[in-house]
Amino acid sequence: MSGRVVYTGAGVITSIGAGVEEFEEALYSGNCGIAPSARFNGAAAGEIVDFTPVPWLGNKGIRVLDRAARLLCVAAQMSLTAAGRPADPAGEGDPESGLVCGTMFGGLHSIATFDHTGVTEGPSQVNPADFPNTVINSPTGHAGIKFKLRGVNSTICAGFASGLQAISYAADFVRFERAKWVLAGGLEELCEESSEGFQRTGLASPDGTVRPFGRDRNGTVPGEGAALWLLELEETARERGATPLGEVRGFGAAHDAASLHGLHASGAGAASAMRQAIASAGLTPADIACIFASANGSRLADEIEARAINEVFGPGAPPVCAPKAAWGEAMGAAGGLAAVAAGVALQRQMLPPTAGFAASDSGLKLSAQPQPISGDHALINSIGCDGANVSLLISLWREV
Amino acid sequence: MKRVVVTGVGVVSPVGIGVERFWQALLAGESGISRVESFDTSKFPVHLGGEVRGFEPAPGDRQMGRASQFAVAAAREALTDSGLDLNAMDRSRIGVSMGTTSGEPHMVERYNDARKGGVDPDPSFFTNYPCHVIPSNVAAEFQLGGVTLMIPTACAAGNYAIGYAYDLVRTGRAGVMLAGGSDSFSRIPYTGFAKLSAIATERCQPFDKNRKGMVPGEGSAMLVLQPLDSVRPGTTIYAEILSYGVSCDAHHMTAAHPDGDGAIRAMAMAMKSAGIGTDDIDYISAHGTGTKANDRIESIALHAMFGARAPKVPMSSIKSMLGHTMGAASAIEAVACSLAVQTGWVPPTINFEEPDPECEVDCVPNHARKIDPKIVLNNAYAFGGNNASLCVRRYEG
Repeated sequence: MSGRVVYTGAGVITSIGAGVEEFEEALYSGNCGIAPSARFNGAAAGEIVDFTPVPWLGNKGIRVLDRAARLLCVAAQMSLTAAGRPADPAGEGDPESGLVCGTMFGGLHSIATFDHTGVTEGPSQVNPADFPNTVINSPTGHAGIKFKLRGVNSTICAGFASGLQAISYAADFVRFERAKWVLAGGLEELCEESSEGFQRTGLASPDGTVRPFGRDRNGTVPGEGAALWLLELEETARERGATPLGEVRGFGAAHDAASLHGLHASGAGAASAMRQAIASAGLTPADIACIFASANGSRLADEIEARAINEVFGPGAPPVCAPKAAWGEAMGAAGGLAAVAAGVALQRQMLPPTAGFAASDSGLKLSAQPQPISGDHALINSIGCDGANVSLLISLWREV
Repeated sequence: MKRVVVTGVGVVSPVGIGVERFWQALLAGESGISRVESFDTSKFPVHLGGEVRGFEPAPGDRQMGRASQFAVAAAREALTDSGLDLNAMDRSRIGVSMGTTSGEPHMVERYNDARKGGVDPDPSFFTNYPCHVIPSNVAAEFQLGGVTLMIPTACAAGNYAIGYAYDLVRTGRAGVMLAGGSDSFSRIPYTGFAKLSAIATERCQPFDKNRKGMVPGEGSAMLVLQPLDSVRPGTTIYAEILSYGVSCDAHHMTAAHPDGDGAIRAMAMAMKSAGIGTDDIDYISAHGTGTKANDRIESIALHAMFGARAPKVPMSSIKSMLGHTMGAASAIEAVACSLAVQTGWVPPTINFEEPDPECEVDCVPNHARKIDPKIVLNNAYAFGGNNASLCVRRYEG
């Protein structure tokens, strides 16, 4: 057994597009999915407007799913199809298949709504069918049932770093042969409760614009979406005639313990996470072809990330794309979305632009236009606003 | 791969705060279940809960949610118990892996109370609600810099979290892990379980023919997991973590698979990973919530797995005493399992009066028993069809 964990398909849905093809087209065109939202009193959001799961899931069985679960199921359906493991609703399901989903708030809106009914109308007035949606792992559970994924079914919460943490966790399940194949990535729904949180805690950009690493950046914008890779061992993929798209190679995590309520200004954790990810893949910083940054337009977080990248890579740092310019801070979905984007960039050997590129004072080679890259390895960062720093290293698939 | 041992334990529970009090109460068969005090249950048809009484958060912890306060207190006890000198260690290699069902639900309650009262909710809701804040609070309290995450796989979450911590330690990716779970008593799950008519009216009686339901509870447990080769002489080793197994029924959000499918596969995965068979299992810490369906299906799974030996395997439910502490439950039960292999005693299932022909199990009725178990299995089942079994062994060098 090689222990090499590969991804053989991707599913993605965001404000800039649904499905890898549409997502890729929009990403490389520099499209931005952020706009004032009718759902949130005109506040800017990277919202999937008029979202309906019907084109992917049909009408059957979707009534019991809340928005979060629907987004996740859509991404799962796409990923299964793309990887050549189509869903089999009538079948038994595979006891060696699983789902690992990173999220920050889970189905918060369902939880808050259930409680609101209980306190305003009385506890006997709640709909018992809504109760299952009040557990944080509800979207993952629903998707497990819908696609009969009978092995590991884990929800992973690490704030903005949840998605990358979930991919690493899932890769371990495949590597240790506790599961043969696992859908892994992240999910976040936009809801009034989390949108209000962004506005009232000062995270939100007053003019609703995300300028990652920008000189004039003034905050971020909440986003939403779901993105899942299908992970399996390369032998498993080969046996069923599937071609790996790329490989999950390295992972690093460092918690800036001092920073729970405000970032640790040194960026030591971010640098440590990147170094661990690169070293655990047996590589050096010089091997990295491009970086997908976590930068979301926040004054301090972007400064810390830029400093950490410069510290780890020095003057030879590879080009950087900050994809949250396109879809905002998608929280638990962020890592999954960035990972899918990075996988596409490696395959095309072309880094997408940073949408609405703004003048930067970071000293980084931030991509203003699509630019060619050369190399097999991409580094993806997720930096939370509460101490979490996670980096994932992925590589283009090579036989040897 | 490294061998992974438990060198520190900490518990906040309805039967007592602190491991010593907790273990005394369990072996004495004391109940921590009583009438709910933390909110008004007059509009509910039921009134019982397993609440933690007399808990005082440390002065610096008052801003945190209650689940975080519990977790920090349990972690403090576990770290002290382990004798680890954090100042002499590389804290960047010490992480926190936790499980929960509801995270910090009081933040949602306050948010809705504010909305109901027509005032703006406190924005700290946004920073204090997300459930990863609980392990982050633990990491911040002890200045730990390793992998820090929450695995909220509902009522099996503690086992998931301990299992992942075990993986990180045995592979050498973490030097030490604090692992466990935490949940606070909340009207949100209480409302849901009450609406499902799942809450018992008088007491919690797992496996009894006349059992009438579960009782929601709260609490936290944390365990210090470290590689055996790093344990200093003189340290108490409670137990060795052997393996774990997980599965998903993929059947129904709230009802277990009628044949116990996922429960069986989780146990089988744990035993296979440990390289042991059913004959090697000396005791099982049951999920044992006390509902009609759950206990019956758990019994079906036990019989399918253990065959003729099933009725002879001691399998007790400490939920009879604590109530169901949700995401903390399997972490608290993992502490009980660690103490069982260390002391030789297994805790009882209290309130047991009449055997149920549908639950032909030895639930260690009403009185603790000295059986000197060598290998034990800790089973946990959850919403979403999640199942997790943790395998723990007595440490014998």
